[in-house]
Amino acid sequence: MSNIAGKAYAMNVITPIRWYMVWINRLIFKIALNRPSTLKGLITLSLIHYARWVIIPRNAFPRLDENQPKEDLNYAYMLFFSNFNGSWDQYVDSFTFAIPAGLDLFWKWNVRYPKSVPLTPFHDYIRHNQIDTAHYYNAYPMAASNDVKSAKKVKKALIDFNAVSSDKAPDDFLKDYNKLLNDLQLQLGEMKPTPIVSLSSYEVKKRYEQTQTH
Amino acid sequence: MTQNLDLTDIQGNIIKAYGAYNYQKARYLFLRIDKGDKGRKFVGAITTKVTSAVPWEKSSKDTDSAVKPQATTNIAFTFAGLKALELPMASLRGFPEDFIMGMAKRKDILGDDGPSDPQNWDNIWKEEVHAWISINGQSIDAVIKRYDWVLEQIKASDGGVTLLTGHRGENGEDDLPYQDASVLYDATGTPTPKEHFGYTDGIGDPVFEGQINVSARVLGRGKLTREGNWEPLATGEFLLGHVDEAMEYPQTAPAPWLLALNGTYMVYRKLHENIGTFNRFLEEQSKHFPGSKEMLAAKFAGRWRDNGAPIVNAPDDESKERWDKQYAEADEAGRKKMLTDFTYNQDITGAKCPYSAHIRRINPRGSLEYGVKDAYDTPGALVNRRRILRRGLPYGEVKDATRDDGNHGIIFMALNVDIQRQFEFIQQQWINYANDFKEGNDKEVLLGNHDANNPGKVVLQVEPGSGKPPHFVSKIPRLVETRGGDYFFIPSITALKLIAAGMVDPT
Repeated sequence: MSNIAGKAYAMNVITPIRWYMVWINRLIFKIALNRPSTLKGLITLSLIHYARWVIIPRNAFPRLDENQPKEDLNYAYMLFFSNFNGSWDQYVDSFTFAIPAGLDLFWKWNVRYPKSVPLTPFHDYIRHNQIDTAHYYNAYPMAASNDVKSAKKVKKALIDFNAVSSDKAPDDFLKDYNKLLNDLQLQLGEMKPTPIVSLSSYEVKKRYEQTQTH
Repeated sequence: MTQNLDLTDIQGNIIKAYGAYNYQKARYLFLRIDKGDKGRKFVGAITTKVTSAVPWEKSSKDTDSAVKPQATTNIAFTFAGLKALELPMASLRGFPEDFIMGMAKRKDILGDDGPSDPQNWDNIWKEEVHAWISINGQSIDAVIKRYDWVLEQIKASDGGVTLLTGHRGENGEDDLPYQDASVLYDATGTPTPKEHFGYTDGIGDPVFEGQINVSARVLGRGKLTREGNWEPLATGEFLLGHVDEAMEYPQTAPAPWLLALNGTYMVYRKLHENIGTFNRFLEEQSKHFPGSKEMLAAKFAGRWRDNGAPIVNAPDDESKERWDKQYAEADEAGRKKMLTDFTYNQDITGAKCPYSAHIRRINPRGSLEYGVKDAYDTPGALVNRRRILRRGLPYGEVKDATRDDGNHGIIFMALNVDIQRQFEFIQQQWINYANDFKEGNDKEVLLGNHDANNPGKVVLQVEPGSGKPPHFVSKIPRLVETRGGDYFFIPSITALKLIAAGMVDPT
């Protein structure tokens, strides 16, 4: 069990929300999606692979099977699901100080949400409502979100370059190649294994790897 | 919010970088506490000479100030040391995990591997270190005098404490009972703010609420506001018991309140500098660099070696000449401003100061917004919780600039309230890794724990759209190696007295 796979951290947070307040959150989500500027901070926080907020109505909590009895719930729920680089402990400061208003807007109507500043009650609120990840598979453990974004740019640029360069004279080729490097100069970071996210997760990983080699 | 700090209660080394006050020499001692009661008595004796943060008098009429001493003394403890002094378990359990573990056990986070691995540290670190005593002096004689006084106190402790030996020294010793440090001098014997690689050091130390003369010093050293001004950082980023940037009291404080208040944590690291490798590497790399050797050296650090000019405002040899001229004509305040008051707002691509440059890595200022207007709540949102006060001095002498194996480096001390959030984060995420800078795993050139078997590279960005290729600095060798260190708690003077009296009670 670990919330970490390679450079990614999986976060599932499920928080209760009074069912009769759900419409406000839906409205907020709609406005946010229609006005991209409201999500600008979140997008500039380049360590995020993915973030999604979903409202689960009181009577629509998922069941594994038709035979699973329906629960009689007092609250609707908001599911926050995200993959990002680093861990919650390492990067909670970054989230809180970069986008405090955005966090407060999304969680404001959730039961007992403390606001994002001061930090410790917020950190504890998320931790308390977090569902730890039972199984987490990452096909590209060395790729941080930025590595993926960079790789996509480099790949496209290389394919385009290749298509127009094969018959160029050496001098022209060099000129074009230099221009290509210039265009890609912010996408050329090296991709190597992750720095350890925590000493405990590092120990878990080492023990796991030992069982794989025996 | 302005607040007055109780400077009589705070140890002087937290507030003052002694080197900047003409204390050119320092000696660091490490001790083991063998007996709780006698150890506490020893702490009490040392406390009588502990230097506070009270400002030193400018004239004899200045009655609010203290006389500037010939030598200063400060003291701090490891977790094992506090245990040996028999602090109650209810206090001990309130200390944070990083401090409890100590530096050697954090090696996988810090990247202390290969030559930096604890098994290669000075012998002293193979023992359990309990206490650190620092002596800074205006002369070596003043240091020795105070050192002799400390030795007397150790003797008087009657087996209560032991001075540990095992520091490497100038003449191949490996069993010295102290670590000496000193500013470096130029050819005329004048003290300089340089370290052994030739860089000008200690320019951009953070400024926080409650320090003296904040408005004159805050430019480029506090936190950047949306309007482009600089404000002092919250006191609680550097002193326990004060409100921090997250609008709360630091969570790393042990109980009771008086034990924590006005104290902080110190990271002590002995960093060996591989002088020969550095010189050869710089020489080799500059052969195919489109600019002078000094310009390349400046690209590594973000500052020019000779006078510390920030490369973001003097990005090539030509503009450096102009900068120097302006610097020469500026007054004292103007010079300070030129050295510290800058951002990377006009350099989003890193064409002037590369993303890998030391000072851009350890303090990115507003640049983690990547030029996206008003992206975050405040431009320093990702930075203000990652600042550290830096103390310390160079040690040793370079006798042969072609060799690595001399005795030369820096005694680096970082002060912060949360080692994990501040010092360790910078070391791990920003020096040895670069995802926040969108540079993958590219390590910072000077301090990165470069792997000899799989050496890394950095990209020195150029003007976008210029058609010129960026410059690749490749096969970077390990230039700096850790030779020892630990995590210490620097108590307030009140807390020292409580510890000495055996009166710490969190009930």
